[in-house]
Amino acid sequence: MNLALALCVAVVFGAGIRLMLDPDLVRIAAGTILVSNAANLFIMSAGTGAQAAGQAQATTSDPLVQALVLTSLVITFGFTALLFSILHAIYRAWGTLDSHEIDRPE
Amino acid sequence: MIFVPLAIGWIASLVLLALDGRRRWVGWLALAAVLGMLAASVALLWEVAAGREPAVIAGGWPGGVGIRLRADWLGIGYAVPVLGIIAALLLIENLRGGFLTRIGPALVVLVSLGLTGVFFTADAFNFYVFFELSMGSAFAITALGTEGRHVRVSATFMVTNILGSVLFLISVGGLYHATGTLDMPVAAARLGVDPFGPPVLVGTLFLAAFLLKLGIFPFHFWVPPVYGETRVPAAALLSGALANIGSYGLLRFGGEVMPDALQAGRGLLLAIGAATILIGSMLAISRQPVAEILAYSSIAQNGYILLALGIGGRAGFAAAYIYAMVNSIGKALLFTTAGSRGPMIGGAFLIGAMSTAGLPPALGFVGKFALFRAAWEGTDRWLVGWIIGGALLAFLYMFQAFQQRFWLREDETHSAPSVRVAIACFAVVALVFGVWPEPLLGAGSQIASLLAGGPR
Repeated sequence: MNLALALCVAVVFGAGIRLMLDPDLVRIAAGTILVSNAANLFIMSAGTGAQAAGQAQATTSDPLVQALVLTSLVITFGFTALLFSILHAIYRAWGTLDSHEIDRPE
Repeated sequence: MIFVPLAIGWIASLVLLALDGRRRWVGWLALAAVLGMLAASVALLWEVAAGREPAVIAGGWPGGVGIRLRADWLGIGYAVPVLGIIAALLLIENLRGGFLTRIGPALVVLVSLGLTGVFFTADAFNFYVFFELSMGSAFAITALGTEGRHVRVSATFMVTNILGSVLFLISVGGLYHATGTLDMPVAAARLGVDPFGPPVLVGTLFLAAFLLKLGIFPFHFWVPPVYGETRVPAAALLSGALANIGSYGLLRFGGEVMPDALQAGRGLLLAIGAATILIGSMLAISRQPVAEILAYSSIAQNGYILLALGIGGRAGFAAAYIYAMVNSIGKALLFTTAGSRGPMIGGAFLIGAMSTAGLPPALGFVGKFALFRAAWEGTDRWLVGWIIGGALLAFLYMFQAFQQRFWLREDETHSAPSVRVAIACFAVVALVFGVWPEPLLGAGSQIASLLAGGPR
């Protein structure tokens, strides 16, 4: 279970970073969404160890990490909306979302 | 009692969100709200100075379960100067003619609210929430510009800082995983008896997150375009108020929660700090526009904070705090001055430039001297030479900026007299605290004994 979660976090985080290295701003935004959600997955998996300290065989899940993830999901959602509205403003100002195109010296 | 500054900010920002910020009186209302938060924080400072620690657990939960808010020397030592800087910036912005956008005043109050919450919370995840509140408002503030390049840099600012927030969130998850608690003092106590040694992995993640926020050397790439291209008042707010989250986080999580990890990473902190000073100063010398010189200069100046943390101990922590405050005031002054024209502005810029170069009697000398003494008393004497070299480079690029800004162009329209008087007063305050640094030094020594222990 732990290995599966760790691999899952690694793949999502890696895919997010790969997208953030792209010149296309929409892909960068998609990358930030993936990276943020990798962090949420990580916190979910962090809840398993804190329990193991208290009891040998965990039968209930840790409610605190779920509250934390719920909060950070809301924050991620708000930021995503803000980021896309900024991208919209960029598109209106420059007519493109390719950062190479935008940053080309005139 | 400790709820008061947060409640003022909360209610005021909700009210301001409903109002049209382009009206003059709404901008003044925002200033009144920030001043109210400042007054409430000063009242808390009184309590803390009397030896009490005002604290409350949100929602009436028992201790160890609920989110704890508390004002200690470190928190209040940051909250009061930072709210003061924001109030000064708001005053100048109002005198300049107010805000051009509907939500501008509300966003500034939200930034102040987020920062105050960050300084007062004792809960690592609550720290993250307040931190994102101020970051999100700051993203929106940078995007409020009228030109395409403003929104362009706000996208850069947002994406890099979201990455920093994600790193921070992961390290909070790691801290919870390692200790089973989010309360900072409890986590520190549990880590202290950790049989596996210092929590280096979690500590490194915290370090990376705050270095990204501060714009320290390997993560400095986002600072020059953002500070250089965004509107000047926004740059003043970012470098004067918001960047403090980075140094505060390093002191709080490095000094209080994970002192062993900080000790283990000493060499790394010193190396990164020294490299940052060199690279930031060199790049500042090679630039022409004043805003870009100031942007690279803030990278270099933040390197000194890292050096102070690396030196560690009582003298190091005190120097880190004093330097962070001195640098915020200096940068807020310089960016505001760079956006104004006319008589008295040159003098104000000169005071800011002297402060950055660490020349007495400007405020910067106090920071440089605290750092100098910490380095001299510590084991790494080579730092002394490095600090002096950095100060010389700072003198060089600040003089270049002064030349660029005040000797070449004299034909521009002057700013309103009230704006110039306000900026001159700001500069005089910076000078007064340079001549009479006792409050700052006292707070620094209290913070040092809070973090490093031992007698005052």
